Amino acid sequence: MLLKAERTLHLKSSRGKTVRVVREHYLREHVPCFSSLCQASCHNDGKLLPGNVTHYIVPDWKVLQDFLEILEFPALRGVIFTQTACQSVQHQKGRKQYNRLRSLLKDARHECILFSNEFQRYSYCPREKGEAMEKWQTRCIYYAAVWYYHHLAGQKPLVVITEDQDAIEKYGSENKDIYVISIKDYLEGFWPDLKAAHELYESIVQSLRERESESQEKEYAEHLPVEILQAGIKSGRYIQGTLNVNKYRAQVEAFVRIQGSANKNTELSSDVLVCGGKQRNRALHGDVVAVELLPRSEWRGRATALSQSEGEDRLAEELQSQTMPTGTVVGIIQRNWRDYVVTFPPKEEVQSQGKNSQKILVTPWDYRIPKIRISTQQAEALQDHRVVARIDSWESTSLYPNGHFVRVLGKAGDLETEVAAILVENNIQVPPFSEAQMREMPVNNPESPWRVESEQELERLDLRETHLVFSIDPQGCEDVDDTLSVRRLANGNVELGVHIADVTHFVKLNSYTDLEARARATTYYLADRRYDMLLPILSADLCSLLGSVDRYAMSVMWELDKSSYEVKRVWYGRTIICSSYKLFYEAAQALLDGDWSVVEQIPELAGLGGETRQEKLDQLVWAIGSLADIARHLRAKRDRGGALELEGVEVRVQLDAQKNIAALVPRQPLEVHETVAECMILANHWVAKKIWERFPHQALLRHHPQPRQEFFTELVECAKAKGFTIDTCSNKSLADSLDRAVDPADPLVNKLLRFMATQAMSNALYFSTGAYPEEEYYHYGLALERYTHFTSPIRRYADIVVHRLLMAAILRDKGEELRETPGSNKELEELAQHINSKNKAAQHAQKQSTELFQCMYFKDKDPVTDERCIADAVIYSIRANGLLVFVPRYGIKGAVYLKNKEGLVVCVNPDGSCEWKPGTLKRFQDRISSTTADGSETFPLFQHITVRISVQASRSHSESIRMEIISNKPHKASDPQLHCDTPHPARADLVREVIRSAEEAQQAEEQASRAALAGENQEYCQTQGKSLYSLLEEIRELALLDVSAASLTP
Amino acid sequence: MAGLELLSDQGYRVDGRKPTELRKIQARMGVFAQADGSAYIEQGNTKALAVVYGPHEIRGSRSKCLHDRAVLNCQYSMATFSTAERKRRPHGDRKSSEMTLHLKQTFEAAILTQLYPRSQIDIYVQILQADGGNYSACVNAATLAVVDAGIPLRDYVCACSAGFVEDTPLVDLSHVEESSGGTQLSLALLPKAEHLALVEMDARLHQDHLEGLMDAATRACKDLHAVLDRVVREHLQEVSTQLVE
Repeated sequence: MLLKAERTLHLKSSRGKTVRVVREHYLREHVPCFSSLCQASCHNDGKLLPGNVTHYIVPDWKVLQDFLEILEFPALRGVIFTQTACQSVQHQKGRKQYNRLRSLLKDARHECILFSNEFQRYSYCPREKGEAMEKWQTRCIYYAAVWYYHHLAGQKPLVVITEDQDAIEKYGSENKDIYVISIKDYLEGFWPDLKAAHELYESIVQSLRERESESQEKEYAEHLPVEILQAGIKSGRYIQGTLNVNKYRAQVEAFVRIQGSANKNTELSSDVLVCGGKQRNRALHGDVVAVELLPRSEWRGRATALSQSEGEDRLAEELQSQTMPTGTVVGIIQRNWRDYVVTFPPKEEVQSQGKNSQKILVTPWDYRIPKIRISTQQAEALQDHRVVARIDSWESTSLYPNGHFVRVLGKAGDLETEVAAILVENNIQVPPFSEAQMREMPVNNPESPWRVESEQELERLDLRETHLVFSIDPQGCEDVDDTLSVRRLANGNVELGVHIADVTHFVKLNSYTDLEARARATTYYLADRRYDMLLPILSADLCSLLGSVDRYAMSVMWELDKSSYEVKRVWYGRTIICSSYKLFYEAAQALLDGDWSVVEQIPELAGLGGETRQEKLDQLVWAIGSLADIARHLRAKRDRGGALELEGVEVRVQLDAQKNIAALVPRQPLEVHETVAECMILANHWVAKKIWERFPHQALLRHHPQPRQEFFTELVECAKAKGFTIDTCSNKSLADSLDRAVDPADPLVNKLLRFMATQAMSNALYFSTGAYPEEEYYHYGLALERYTHFTSPIRRYADIVVHRLLMAAILRDKGEELRETPGSNKELEELAQHINSKNKAAQHAQKQSTELFQCMYFKDKDPVTDERCIADAVIYSIRANGLLVFVPRYGIKGAVYLKNKEGLVVCVNPDGSCEWKPGTLKRFQDRISSTTADGSETFPLFQHITVRISVQASRSHSESIRMEIISNKPHKASDPQLHCDTPHPARADLVREVIRSAEEAQQAEEQASRAALAGENQEYCQTQGKSLYSLLEEIRELALLDVSAASLTP
Repeated sequence: MAGLELLSDQGYRVDGRKPTELRKIQARMGVFAQADGSAYIEQGNTKALAVVYGPHEIRGSRSKCLHDRAVLNCQYSMATFSTAERKRRPHGDRKSSEMTLHLKQTFEAAILTQLYPRSQIDIYVQILQADGGNYSACVNAATLAVVDAGIPLRDYVCACSAGFVEDTPLVDLSHVEESSGGTQLSLALLPKAEHLALVEMDARLHQDHLEGLMDAATRACKDLHAVLDRVVREHLQEVSTQLVE
């Protein structure tokens, strides 16, 4: 047990004073080397260095600090990070860079390891008296390399990369197999073909050089050191929070959302306003900052006016609401920089920027990010392209942050470029599936069809003969991840079964496929395409529970009481099933309603004749009937608990329209939808219960927190304007009062109210049970104590995790040893956060891609003449100088100005048409009135008006929809088909039309063959995938999402 | 600068130990001739000196006298030079009186006091250098001193601290680990019977982790016991060879 111990002296200063601290330092002989070539039988487990590379790379601390991005290239295999270098990164570059390094080390796809050289007895060198820290670190790293070389008995040459010229001279010739060279020489010597790395190198070097040569003039106040910030936050002097920049007033307005309830400053219930660039002090959107409050006399209010452009700041300041806490940023606790999509300024502007044309100010795609200064010589070549840039630093002497250019996305305005931009902005990486992942997959083709393995046959419960299993999905669905079964038991009770695709059988923990799926966390659905989480062979074939083929499944089966449908017994486990019918919703509904004509459309029945057919049909009809009956009972039970009907019939349509899945939802919501959804909720609920009981502190569940009452204020006010009262004290009362708030004359009112209710709520989130107290497990929307996701493992990673947990729980029940222990609470919570953030990103990306398509749709239409650009809109919110409206026909939300840049206001002529005239606007709680010389006009909430839609072009941002009021009367649509109740066909058309026009443009440029392929894509892209249940689930999620809340209410 | 990483991803602590490894221990018994028993211990950079007088007649007020067992009198102090910054530490400050009480409790559980009714045993402990785990160093030193004094004990008392970082129990915390603000558990154990003489925990810990933490501390105490036992045996050998000569 005892080790050789040696002690070293470390000098350390803390809190200003220099204190001499003596720390022990224990050295050991056996420190794992993590090389597959090791001959000294080191204790190597986990990731290993490959044996088949020409050399190992040992980067110096300086290289690691500045050029980590280059080392991230997967082509650079066999990188040894020394502990010395990693510690220097941790101390000097802060947590962000260090975490990046850590995640690189954990990433199984990148072949690099950490060698704890300072704990190795023979590679450790104590710091000599008077030796500079940097020199000592370099020496340590070099000797670590020397040790490595000898440890591997000289099998591999090592390359130490350093930027220190003295070190190159000093150590370069010491050992002939240990090369000491600079990173430039290294790249040129070893990787002459890796062009991307060379470019990245140039770009980093240039930005480093810039940083050194910066002027010393101070543009911003210095940030306070971390110790002072932390002490200040503890004492309540500073407030810690996340900075949110107002998208529409990015230059001037930002808010700090206070973190945690532990804040001592109780008067601060709202966010803190940060006004202007100086006070924001180099903080970027998303950073965690510390703010100091200004004296009350300097507090200001948030602007309530809609601003048309940045030039309007002064105007807006006159129109402030009541003051709110205002503060100034004194320090940044954590930077949250990511990759940004940027655009170079047009040529004329580059010249006007003057003296140093090497430095160019580029404009990020995201409004909330300030311009970034990057140094590149390619500015002219990349004029009209969108490129990815990273921010390196923002010194107090510089007005703008410094960054460097990383890669090119493509020409601005192209569909592909814009979609790529959306992906980068949301931090979504979807590289094509790699060879290694393909190799892990089982084979299934006509020559060697996949078969049920015999050992699995023994392990699993075989339901192929005993159970009538069927699936209900939208027509043409490929990836069926859930099937159902129901039968009567001998004792008269009913057995209900939910069988979910057994993805975890194919995706082993920590396999390449698993890592990729974990990184993606979900399948991404954009307006015109999707990026799958799993390889197609799994998602569309082996894991898809298709009809008449044997498939593996994870099943949950309940024995229900024959009359009350109380759960008597529940069974979980792995099964083999063979789905008898692959029904689609309309057919199932028809059977449920007793309409037999649909039988011809069911392929499994159509071929049969006479009696067998009738017999089978009767069986199926009974099954669907009892399913529906069970679901009704379940639903009623949940309703009594207060389940929220947010995706009520009308809202479903409305929300779809917002989030662009409308085209997938059948026109009429059928009872079968509800039936399937209810069974899935039941399965999720019981699985959640099971894994929580087995692993009370490391189960992945999903909760939906109780919304904060103050967020409902707007909803209550709006409802009051229409004469409804909304009771928000519990989910039950909210659901009831929403049901009552129906205006018979205008169905949109209820829709909008429900939409506002969803906006007031926060998202449902995944979490690890160990990380939260038990009271917070509750799912507010579904009114369930425990909930998780179990039923869609093909498109959600959370479900895969839950499957593994359930399997572990079952094994433990049987008393078997666990082969893979479930992750600790901490790991699971990290994973849950990751999945949550990816889900959020997926939703953002979906929304943005929808907006992209909307813009592309209206772009080539002339707003003045084209009938399609004129639409009916409903007012749903009032602002100081305009209205927020919703256009049901296209499902667009947007602002309409009643006051233009010249200060003219809208005046309504007797026939309803509108003109700009001088006058004033007056804003009330539930209406706004414009007064001109000719009289005044009032716009109350929920009034229908007519708007003209046009597209506001933008060079460096995404284009946006603009709306202009042309009449205060409802618009009479010439085509009755486009009435607001049926917006989906219109929306499907919209996407299709945009794709078509994009293709036409492409066709002109490219060969015809490609177009044919795209045509097919155009035809099928919308109907692929997604079972209806998953859709409903998604809508439910979306219903609980407030993505647009921030942007709509500035 | 980012905060110190107490346990790296590779499973090393700041000073290079693994979570279950103790610091280097060196101890000597019989360092003072005048006292009845004395011992000096180094646990890493924590150094403690313990001196035992007695059993002897009650000194001072007779009213303290117990008719069925001996009175235990403990005193804990820290040398002015024991920390990085020199600081005068008057006797009787709250921290050291607390520590005194803890020591008293610990040894009342271990010493067979009923063998010496109406008498008194004094245990004086001083920390010469503090680098974490002061209490455990004191207890271990005092055990050796009591053994040296020839006072009958139920068993050795071995004490060790343990902390909880990143879901892993760390044993024998150093000063850096102690001052990071996490949970710290001090355990004094009679290792043979696994009787607890004293358990003290500061800061909160989830109930589920307690068992693991206690296990780790218990194991560490047993390891310590092996070391202390060897020290005692070596000392005995030394003394007996001296006697023979």
